[in-house]
Amino acid sequence: MNTFEHVTVTDGNEAVKLLSERGGAAGETKIIAGGTDLLTLMNASLIAPQRLVNLKAARALRYLRFAEDGALHIGALATLADLERDAGVARRLPILVESVRDAATPQLRAMATVAGNLLQRPRCWYFRGAPHCWLKGGAECFARDGENKYHAIFGASSCVAVHPSDLAPALLALDAELLINGPSGVRTLPLAAFFHEPTNDARIEHTLAPDEVITEIRVPGQPEGANGAYLKMMDRQAWAFALASAAAQLSVEDGVIQQARIVLGGVATVPWRATQAEDALTGQQLTPELARTAAEAALAGAAPLAHNGYKVPLARELVRRAILRAGSVPHP
Amino acid sequence: MPIRIITTHLEFEGQISEQRVVMEGEEPAVWGPEAELAVVGKVTPRVDGRERVTGSAQYAYDVQLPGMLVAAGLRSPHPHARIVRIDASRAETAPGVRAVYHHFNTGDLNNPSNDRPVFGDELLYQGDLVAVAIAETKEQAQDALALIAVEYEPLPFVVDQRAALAADAPKVSTTYEHNTIPEGFPQTYERGDLDAGFVQADVTVEAQLSTPTALHNSMETHGGVAQWDGRTLTIWSSTQDVYGVRRGVASALGLQQNQVRAIKQYMGGGFGNKFGAHHSGLVAAYAAYTLGRPVKYMLSREEENLAAGNRPETIQTYRIGAKKDGTLTAIEQHTIGNVGAIGSWFSPVAMATKELYQCANIRTVDEAARTNLGTQASFRAPGVVEGTAGLEVALDQLAAALGMDPLELRRKNYAERHQALDRPYSRKLLLEAYRLGAERIGWAERDHEERRYPQGRDGYLRRGIGMASQLWGGDGGPPAQAIAKLLPDGTAVILTGTQDIGTGTRTVLAQIAAEELGLPLEQVRVELGDTEFGVFSPPSGGSMTLASVGPAVRMAAAEARKELVEVVAQLSEAPTDALDVRDGHIFSRETGKEMGAIGSFLELLDGHEITAKGMRGPNAENMSVRTFGAQFAEVEVDIGTGRVRVLRIVAVHDCGRIVNPLTFSSQIEGGIIQGLGFALMEQRIVDQRLGAVLNANLENYKVPTIRDIPQIDIILLDQPNVHANTIGALGAGEPPIIPTPGAIANAVAHALGRPVKALPLTPDRVLDLLNS
Amino acid sequence: MADTSETAAAPRTHVSLQVNGTTREVDIEPRRTLLSVLRDDLSLTGAKPGCEMGNCGACTVLLDGEAVYSCLTLAVECTGREITTIEGLSASGELDPVQQAFIAHDALQCGFCTPGQILAMKALFATNPHPDDETIERAMSGNICRCGAYPKILAAARALAGTQAAQQ
Ligand SMILES: Cc1cc2nc3c(=O)[nH]c(=O)nc-3n(C[C@H](O)[C@H](O)[C@H](O)COP(=O)(O)OP(=O)(O)OC[C@H]3O[C@@H](n4cnc5c(N)ncnc54)[C@H](O)[C@@H]3O)c2cc1C
Ligand code: SF4
Ligand code: FES
Ligand code: FES
Repeated sequence: MNTFEHVTVTDGNEAVKLLSERGGAAGETKIIAGGTDLLTLMNASLIAPQRLVNLKAARALRYLRFAEDGALHIGALATLADLERDAGVARRLPILVESVRDAATPQLRAMATVAGNLLQRPRCWYFRGAPHCWLKGGAECFARDGENKYHAIFGASSCVAVHPSDLAPALLALDAELLINGPSGVRTLPLAAFFHEPTNDARIEHTLAPDEVITEIRVPGQPEGANGAYLKMMDRQAWAFALASAAAQLSVEDGVIQQARIVLGGVATVPWRATQAEDALTGQQLTPELARTAAEAALAGAAPLAHNGYKVPLARELVRRAILRAGSVPHP
Repeated sequence: MPIRIITTHLEFEGQISEQRVVMEGEEPAVWGPEAELAVVGKVTPRVDGRERVTGSAQYAYDVQLPGMLVAAGLRSPHPHARIVRIDASRAETAPGVRAVYHHFNTGDLNNPSNDRPVFGDELLYQGDLVAVAIAETKEQAQDALALIAVEYEPLPFVVDQRAALAADAPKVSTTYEHNTIPEGFPQTYERGDLDAGFVQADVTVEAQLSTPTALHNSMETHGGVAQWDGRTLTIWSSTQDVYGVRRGVASALGLQQNQVRAIKQYMGGGFGNKFGAHHSGLVAAYAAYTLGRPVKYMLSREEENLAAGNRPETIQTYRIGAKKDGTLTAIEQHTIGNVGAIGSWFSPVAMATKELYQCANIRTVDEAARTNLGTQASFRAPGVVEGTAGLEVALDQLAAALGMDPLELRRKNYAERHQALDRPYSRKLLLEAYRLGAERIGWAERDHEERRYPQGRDGYLRRGIGMASQLWGGDGGPPAQAIAKLLPDGTAVILTGTQDIGTGTRTVLAQIAAEELGLPLEQVRVELGDTEFGVFSPPSGGSMTLASVGPAVRMAAAEARKELVEVVAQLSEAPTDALDVRDGHIFSRETGKEMGAIGSFLELLDGHEITAKGMRGPNAENMSVRTFGAQFAEVEVDIGTGRVRVLRIVAVHDCGRIVNPLTFSSQIEGGIIQGLGFALMEQRIVDQRLGAVLNANLENYKVPTIRDIPQIDIILLDQPNVHANTIGALGAGEPPIIPTPGAIANAVAHALGRPVKALPLTPDRVLDLLNS
Repeated sequence: MADTSETAAAPRTHVSLQVNGTTREVDIEPRRTLLSVLRDDLSLTGAKPGCEMGNCGACTVLLDGEAVYSCLTLAVECTGREITTIEGLSASGELDPVQQAFIAHDALQCGFCTPGQILAMKALFATNPHPDDETIERAMSGNICRCGAYPKILAAARALAGTQAAQQ
């Protein structure tokens, strides 16, 4: 790991100031929250920030609060363990608890923050290893014709890494938005606009500027009768990133689906919203057959690589089960 | 004592070798089934448990010495390259750096285990050692690596084993004529008449199984700390073999063996690849010797997974012929193994085929391909895990073709004798193991509808039950020595040169000594893992330790006890046969009266210590002492997601007398769990175009977590094998891992009704299998 | 512990750490992990380096009672927090009930992962004295044991679950 200067700040504004100093050069100064992604990237010499801004002392940013309108406000420094243990979240937004329960490990969940989780970089083994691949600024994506069983089946990016977060699909299914503090003040950004597929000019999975700080994640109040589920498949029973995952958030009235949001994890460079599946569900009576149809729709257009064809039936099945689970329909 | 030199035979990891043993005195009579033992055979918590749970146990990684320097290694990014030039000047002058070693300044440091330079100029795999920086702190050593400028000339490479054997394949090394292990390969074994066997067959099946490259991933990596004091080079090593470390370091540095002291107090796992000094130990020793300061070199996890050995991947194909009634008439096995860059042997993948089932006509061919990847090393039952899985998977396919119960097929072909050596087994309890295991798993209900389809036929869960048999040596042998000392306070110290690699050796040896000496366990201390005692023991591997060292300890203790009785007899003017030793006290046999504590007699002799030697006697001739066993697995497969969960493993192994049921069951469980990892998740992934290992870490090289483990039922046979040695015990390290992958693969095949062709059974593979 | 007098190239920070109930002062570079400071500067070698990437759990320590990986924790960020290492569990000389249960049930083989396992279990019982099997397995799922002591680790935890000792 490279040497660096270490500065502790006590609020987001201070952090923004430090990030925008020295011309705000990308990567020169980085926030460290839980450090669980940042330090592994630094250990592998993938990044070498000259200064780390320790946000953990900004205690005021660690909270979970339900507002009057039913919205859940998640402080950027809330940990995955905080979410996992919160009784209110468990009752009102079970999808969130399901999404963190099988993420990483108890130790990592105690350290990892929600904001950091959304900002974590891909786990593609070429990216995390020595090859100077496209996402790192190189010319070639080694995974596309290489070892790609963990890689994407959707997306148009030159990169076929998958977004590693378990929380992100669930938050997207809840239509969450971010509060972002930057040099010119505070902005809110729908999570859907925060994630973007890496492009030639922006080889990164999100749109946060290097001098911005996430201060809050806000989950809007859900309608009466709303329920959600998150299902994750791993290649062992714990401590693995998703081979594929499915988040389903439904609101059902008198057996009819009023609103549905379906998001897939582990299938694209960003959490992948399955709008066709949502359309197939909306306004319909939830039945096992409908779930199957919606799951088919979710995977329509998937374009697997040489070694990840299995992700198509896998993700389809996870979507099907997540819909049934969210709708409390007994299955198989 | 009269000295006799006896020639005996031993088996180590499938190879039989001749060994001369020096015997001084007589071994005590074997503890047979009738022996009444007070300490041996009892559930005994580890005698060093306290050290291990308090963090005070010192592992090689933990050794810190005043003035100690730390090493870090720079490794080849290329699968095959020549080093053209190295400029280490910036690194050498960086803060805290004391030396940088590489080919151009340390090219003559030789690694005796493969007789190659530690720092060669031709790099044969990604991860091959390029340079080592030695600095005051680990951070400084690591920083220095980035300052070493290396010019590489990349050379053509090959990483696929089949491709490597092609005539026009790039040579793994410019010094190789071809990519096969030069001596003895391809290796062919034949008995009977294979073609005639197939002619006799009513049914012939062809089956294949490919198995992955598995990485040991002991929690403590390879390495050690070395110190040179001008007279002795001391090395604290994470090793299964202190004598091997001593030999290697002495040879590499041009020292006498007695100028090197190798110590291993605690070590964080071995599993077969921690024999010898390893290049990490050699570099630490060399640096300490030349710099005059203690030096630590522990591998990083990545270095460990690239350059510390592996269980080589295999592609196995089988052709098996049988009569309608299941009688085997012919077995043909062909295996290609990937032994890595400088592999010079290939594990005995055909052991099960040659020996496990009765069959007169057999041919096995092992091909061993060198490739530009890290070299293989033995890994818990090397070859036999892979080969047993292949054979057992093939046998289940034969059973299906015959419409026969798989267990019945195995019973039908039960081998009463060692067919390859044509001699009897000392004993074989495998039928008993089948019976007990089948009963416990509920084999008879194996095909019941409600058992196979727990959610009904429309559900997505399928269950299956499979089994596999196990065959291994584990009989150990000489030479192994021990010294027993009775100290003036009446307590005992046992000295041996063996190591406790986590198997509980220290505890079982203490039990054996306590039993023989008539001392409470707390009054026996076992010292091991140090060549300084001068008490030779073999490496801790191949399930040899207990069966080799245990009898030596017993004999030493018996001799010490004899001498003690002699001393007490003379002091108390009683005949020796009137005295008994129990619970640390001397009793009169006649009256049963206590005559005093042992210490109360020894005290009278002003510091006298009783010292006695023991050694492991020769192995039984003209018979094969083997461990046999069987495992039964029940699995549940989710056909929607490809998830395989092992619900239960029933394990029945005959390892002779069980000295400590507690540590024995730990060994069995540990073996099963590693076997489960091999069956379900472990595999090194290599990019064929880059020649690079993509998962030299514990993130993507997946080993089982606590959530992956099944219920494990161990059925103890616990019957001393009186032909094995004087304690009647055999090893239990290897046996439990051997049948697990085969049993799981067969259970999955049963659940899905499809043959398994490759391990590990990861979800992607299961889904592909279902959708094929 | 090593002689570093002439090598102070990188800037150092003075850090005061609360380790096992006592204050320990160190001058360290900010990049030093808690794991390396505990081991190399404070000679507390109970926490083990198994991967230094958050993939094994051997380095587990308690930070304010919560189990964390010390290999992914910067030591400079631990000021003002209570650090408990395995050495701290038996500081009085008496073994903690979790340690005793590990010995009694043989919940260890080579022992390299054991300090981390014990501290992870300590953290579990601190919040939940009556865990069921699934809770135990989830709580212990961040600690790899390559020797496969898991069944015995589970047995140790089951034996402790609900006992008085678990809540100590
Ligand atoms: C072994 C391992 C296994 C894992 N398994 C999973 C898994 O199964 N599922 C899963 O979802 N995740 C998994 N993770 C990822 C883990 O959850 C993330 O690393 C973690 O959530 C990141 O949070 P952090 O607080 O540690 O972020 P840090 O590492 O501190 O920061 C990550 C990035 O975010 C930036 N950052 C952090 N906070 C802010 C902020 N408020 N504003 C602006 N920038 C910020 C940092 O500068 C940095 O670039 C795993 C990680 C590891 C190491
Ligand atoms: S998938 Fe993305 S991260 Fe992986 S090699 Fe390709 S470009 Fe790089
Ligand atoms: S050393 Fe920290 S998790 Fe492995
Ligand atoms: S006891 Fe060896 S790794 Fe757990």
